[in-house]
Amino acid sequence: MLIEVKNLYKIYNEGKENEVRALDGIDLQIDRGEFVAIIGASGSGKSTLMNVLGLLDIPTYGEYHLDGDDVTTLTDKKQAHTRNKQIGFIFQGYNLIPALSAAENVELPLIYQGLPIDEREVRVEEALHKVSMFDRSGHKPSEMSGGQQQRIAIARAIATHPPIIMADEPTGALDSKTGKHVLEILHTLHQETGTTVILITHDNSIAATADRVVRISDGKIIYDGPREGAGL
Amino acid sequence: MNLKQAFKIAAKSIAAKKGRSALTMLGVIIGLTAVIILVSFAKGQNKWLEDYYASMVDNSISIYAYKWSMYGSDESVAEDLYSYCQQMSDYLIGVTPMSQVYGNTTIKFGSKTITQDNTDWNSRPQIYLGNQQYTVCQGYTLAKGRDLTYLDVEKLNQVCVLGAKAAATIFDYADPVGQTIYINGTPITVVGLYEDSGLDEYSSKDRVILMPYTLSRLFNGNVDSGQFIAVAKDATSATLAVTMLNGYGKGLVGDNGSFWAENQNQYIDNSNEQSRMQQLFLGGIAAISLLVGGIGIMNIMLVTVTERTREIGIRKAIGAERKSIIAQFLIEACLICGLGGLIGIAIGYLGTAIVCKLVLGFISWPDMTVTVGSFLFSLAMGVIFGLYPAVKASGLQPVEALRAD
Repeated sequence: MLIEVKNLYKIYNEGKENEVRALDGIDLQIDRGEFVAIIGASGSGKSTLMNVLGLLDIPTYGEYHLDGDDVTTLTDKKQAHTRNKQIGFIFQGYNLIPALSAAENVELPLIYQGLPIDEREVRVEEALHKVSMFDRSGHKPSEMSGGQQQRIAIARAIATHPPIIMADEPTGALDSKTGKHVLEILHTLHQETGTTVILITHDNSIAATADRVVRISDGKIIYDGPREGAGL
Repeated sequence: MNLKQAFKIAAKSIAAKKGRSALTMLGVIIGLTAVIILVSFAKGQNKWLEDYYASMVDNSISIYAYKWSMYGSDESVAEDLYSYCQQMSDYLIGVTPMSQVYGNTTIKFGSKTITQDNTDWNSRPQIYLGNQQYTVCQGYTLAKGRDLTYLDVEKLNQVCVLGAKAAATIFDYADPVGQTIYINGTPITVVGLYEDSGLDEYSSKDRVILMPYTLSRLFNGNVDSGQFIAVAKDATSATLAVTMLNGYGKGLVGDNGSFWAENQNQYIDNSNEQSRMQQLFLGGIAAISLLVGGIGIMNIMLVTVTERTREIGIRKAIGAERKSIIAQFLIEACLICGLGGLIGIAIGYLGTAIVCKLVLGFISWPDMTVTVGSFLFSLAMGVIFGLYPAVKASGLQPVEALRAD
């Protein structure tokens, strides 16, 4: 099992009047090569789930095994390595570094991985070709449209060849046509390389493109199964 | 993650944010430039004062007796005083009247004419009138020829002794001894040449043309020797002599302030105190400029904390370790402040050269300790405030850093 989560809680202001249970006892298992959509309304806890799964945030309680390793007890350094090697992130707001060019943004995780320059160049070129953005290598994020920026973000996520891609509302800031294009890239990636894709969305039509759908409400999983029974 | 990579990332980050990097550098540059120029100038001014007082003779006594008669100062007072001084040989090594040729003077030698109008202040010869003891009283050493003698004074011989720079100005380094110059049309034979005292050009000491004071009748119409310079054997003798002279002088002209004798040693003491105060003052101004420059660095660094916190969040999300983020920010701060510091030092040295040359007439280079000290201070400001967002944000969970706005 690639991802195995048991009894996961994320509680803000625990024990106080304004206590919020963003994750309220989540059990979830995701296997290698799956394409999973996590769907829920705004505030349902789906982004919190992704942040915890992606080691961007720590759970209040619960067990989390990633590729067999207990990651809740990892040191800061090991967590950084895990994020770098195992997970590629795609955010709603792209999260590119504005001062760096497209190619430099894509290169960054490879630098942190410690790859030599010639290998980095090959990987950057390959990743940019995959999202059809090679001709924009030298452009700064501010010189690109939202769809283009998101494709650069995808290139950055896949440059390290991670086994898992986590995408938090990747089409949320895009018009439906570019959104569809970005989604197609994720599907192609999934089919061609067998990368596990975890897609967080509030949009039924986007969730409907996934094989498996997990629906979250108030921090709890209320449906987990094939898309056909998800009531999309 | 090794150092080379951190360096590469930092260099990329600086190059990508040229405007901000330049502004930060500006703070360092201004701070360092101001400190270096001010401190060097203070040092130079101090040297100027030191040299000025060094040109004074130890245990020198100035005596002023201004009892004016209808035709100038009272010659009988001056003569009385002069002979009284000469009786004080237990205390004094020498005494000389001192006066100048007043009004516009013209010095001619061959086809060369030196007037107040055609010679700049720094090289214009100064004509002084004294006796055969002028040399010892003013601390000159004879280089060539002979000194003024008692007979020159008594016989009103039309002779002079030249300071080294006066000789250079009039004779262009040719041998002046035996030559005749014309001062206001009066022929004067050069009999001696003083050694160069080694003082800077602003000092008038080496620009002297010394003639017997008795020639004052020729040039000024009277022997206006209301001022005397004496030199005592030692500091104790100087103090005693001043007391005696004041007693005698006041008996002569009355206690109306028209007579005083003073010990020049006190000025040297005063000058030390004065230059110490001045150094403190300029040092204070320099410290403030450095601080203002430092605050400039701090502002720029802190203004970008939010932006940088997001950046740190992104870097953490894609797998940067905390230590590589801190290394990046540390190297960035060092590069910016280091480069800014070097530019500041370069401009500071250039500015020092210009300001000192224009104001003091010579260049006083800054102390290494000041240069290095203020450089390190700027570097420290940059590192402290450059590292602040890195240390703070890199300790956050990535999601918290990403949320910063």
